[in-house]
Amino acid sequence: MHMADVLLSPTVATTMYAASTAAAGVSIYRLKKENNPEKIPVMAVSAALVFAGQMINYTIPGTGSSGHICGGMLLSALLGPEAGFLSMITVLMIQCLFFADGGLMALGANIWNMAFYGCFLGYYLIWRPIMKGKIFGNLDTGKRIVLASILGSIISLQCGAFSVVLETTMSGITNLPFGVFAGLMLPIHLAIGLVEGLITAAILTFVYQARPELLMDVNSSEKESGMSLKKTLGILTVITLLVGGGLSLYASSNPDGLEWALFGNAEEGYAENMGFDEEDYGVASAMADSAAQIQESTSFLPDYAFKNSDSAAGTTVSGIVGSAIVACFAVLLSVVLKLFRNKSAQSM
Amino acid sequence: MIEFKEVSFQYSSERKVIDHVSFHIEKGESVGLIGANGAGKSTVMKLLLGLLEGEGEIRISDIPVNRKNLSAIRKICGFVLQNADDQMFMPTVYEDMIFGPRNYGLSKEETEKKIDEILRLLDIQDLKHRYNHKLSGGEKRMTAIATVLAMEPQILLMDEPTAALDPYNRRMVINIINKLPQTKIITSHDLDMILDTCDRVILLGNGKIVADGKCQDILSNQKLLEENRLELPLSFMYQKEKELL
Amino acid sequence: MNKAEKALYELNEMDELANGNSLIHHFSALIKLLVTIIYILTVMSFDRYNLSGLIIMAIYPYVLFQISGLSFTGCLYKLRFVLPLVLAIGIFNPLFDRHVFVVLAGIPVTYGWISFFTIAVKGILAISASYLLMATTKIDAICKAMRKLHIPSIITILLLLTYRYVSLMVEEVSVMTNAYHLRAPDQKGIHYTAWGSFLGQLLLRSMDRAKELYNAMMLRGYQGEFYYVDDQPVGLKDIMYFLIWIILFWLCRSVNVVQWIGSMFVR
Repeated sequence: MHMADVLLSPTVATTMYAASTAAAGVSIYRLKKENNPEKIPVMAVSAALVFAGQMINYTIPGTGSSGHICGGMLLSALLGPEAGFLSMITVLMIQCLFFADGGLMALGANIWNMAFYGCFLGYYLIWRPIMKGKIFGNLDTGKRIVLASILGSIISLQCGAFSVVLETTMSGITNLPFGVFAGLMLPIHLAIGLVEGLITAAILTFVYQARPELLMDVNSSEKESGMSLKKTLGILTVITLLVGGGLSLYASSNPDGLEWALFGNAEEGYAENMGFDEEDYGVASAMADSAAQIQESTSFLPDYAFKNSDSAAGTTVSGIVGSAIVACFAVLLSVVLKLFRNKSAQSM
Repeated sequence: MIEFKEVSFQYSSERKVIDHVSFHIEKGESVGLIGANGAGKSTVMKLLLGLLEGEGEIRISDIPVNRKNLSAIRKICGFVLQNADDQMFMPTVYEDMIFGPRNYGLSKEETEKKIDEILRLLDIQDLKHRYNHKLSGGEKRMTAIATVLAMEPQILLMDEPTAALDPYNRRMVINIINKLPQTKIITSHDLDMILDTCDRVILLGNGKIVADGKCQDILSNQKLLEENRLELPLSFMYQKEKELL
Repeated sequence: MNKAEKALYELNEMDELANGNSLIHHFSALIKLLVTIIYILTVMSFDRYNLSGLIIMAIYPYVLFQISGLSFTGCLYKLRFVLPLVLAIGIFNPLFDRHVFVVLAGIPVTYGWISFFTIAVKGILAISASYLLMATTKIDAICKAMRKLHIPSIITILLLLTYRYVSLMVEEVSVMTNAYHLRAPDQKGIHYTAWGSFLGQLLLRSMDRAKELYNAMMLRGYQGEFYYVDDQPVGLKDIMYFLIWIILFWLCRSVNVVQWIGSMFVR
């Protein structure tokens, strides 16, 4: 699920960086308040462990394929959401820097998609309420661990996959209609989430049997401390609405992406199928107009006049010729440089 | 220099890991701390460093070991961990070596001078800018000792300094230990190494001191060693065989 | 080689490259990081139909590969992670976007295909740039540069410590994987009965290790501060390097150089 730089526009990439930075800022603040320096080596070692754990192939019974862990849910169950989130950031940074798995500018988006949901959503919405017995309180702890791991993994992966779809579509990179894209990504990640959940459940069950004190919120006597489920759900709803509202506002100011996705290609009959009429729907509205104007004046790239231009053929030919000339020059130069380098190596 | 008075320690509700242990170590002594697995060697070390808190009184250079004095104690005592990978947590040897001195407020220039001196002493200047995770076992051990020496401790504690080393590297480490003037406490199952580096031995068994005396005397006492699940060092074994012949 | 061993090999390789001694290695890490970020952002900002304008951006990786003497094949290998997703998403463009852009030698080239190739080229360029950064800069210097950019110290500390322990952990996983498969030669992966204990065992050991690590830190007076090798101060040559690239990027972004050269020959 690692996003590449190219799947994002600079605006979306920086927006996601900002969102992840905010989450990291809150986490760092809370950890500092906790003032527990012992946690730092634990976080680092856990991050290294998750990275290494991703190298393990788990055979999925009944199929020929194998599954892997992503780790967000595992880390937050072990370290708590804030420390887990920072550890997960480190894992993603190592992957990005040393393995080019996910791009440098896409890191913000990747942190959000893969670390934020697993750690915060997975913990506050699933792990803690279940482990404190707020939901499924009648089950024993072992069963609750399994349930929380599976639910948490599925939900965080679904959110992550949905974010990938949202980010890519908003960046205006793909012509793939939003609905089709989401329809492809979500079911695939449902299966992946289920497998990841099962693996996480197996690991956490093992830890629970061997050293239960390592797990967050297990057997803790202070049942009533912390937020109630109602409150948690309430806060999450508000956050979701805020984020969703912000995203849609943003999307309307950048019609290129979502518009394309929602109204699709007239030729494919997508807009008709969806029952949307472009004229009545947003794009013609006053707000979208002014937003479009703002975008035009601030945009990093003015709209290129290629589409439907008569001179397309002419510019294409000169483009191809130009590329060929530059390529020839580059090859020649590298040959010369190589000769030069060999010579200087001999003379030494 | 080091004073243990009636020290006991137990993990929650288990049997006592250390049971009323008392000993005294003078400045400049080299003491081998020996005993079978689980005899309490590591616990004694950890108590000494204030990593664990037990009952009784421990003093180092007349400073009582307690939570208040930890910083001072740890400046005096350098501890070489058994697993060099746990000791060396920074990416490169150099960064690991500056970690301690800089934390104790030494300036950059002084630190630089200090670590160059130590690298020269151990003859490992070429390792200075190497990555820790790419060192060989022997190199790791040497650099781990170097990082501790960089803090200029007066007392050196070493946990299994020769474990998992080849004979050449083991000999190197022994030579270095003998070169160092500090007060030393070494725990090991490598009794030949203890024989080569220490003049006194404290033998622990089940959390109690079984014997405390001159190295030669205790390590040649086959009966005592075997009662405590240890074996006669090889050099004494040869001696004995020769006598029999 | 199992997967973990391959990862270990790759980590070592990056270490070795970063320890090289080319001209590029000697520029300040901060400057290199900034140039890389600006480069990637510039590449990302190209319109999805502006393939001919994008091509000239290859000048940056081209020059750096030439000067540093790094091989492009090593970089191509890194593409295996992100390129599949990029191509999988990109390949839908030709399907959905069928406006004909130009007819070349009787073959109609659609906008969809243009945007598909733009995505592919962008992907290769962006990854080359981050590869070049990491292959010419040590991780500690990058951490120092990140500190200068006011990234909180806890992040850089974590990155350094994790980097230190990643190879150790991966090696343990590799040994464990080998041990597992020696006794289960017919299995492709870990059987579900061992799902929990396999990583779980390592997890328990790791928690003990973290405790030892914390002891080692405290024994050497850890008070929340880490000291790294200093990044060289930003000198005149670094500023020149920065300015030259930024101006070049801006030029390439605003003028379609390739087309301009071509138009001199085609009238």
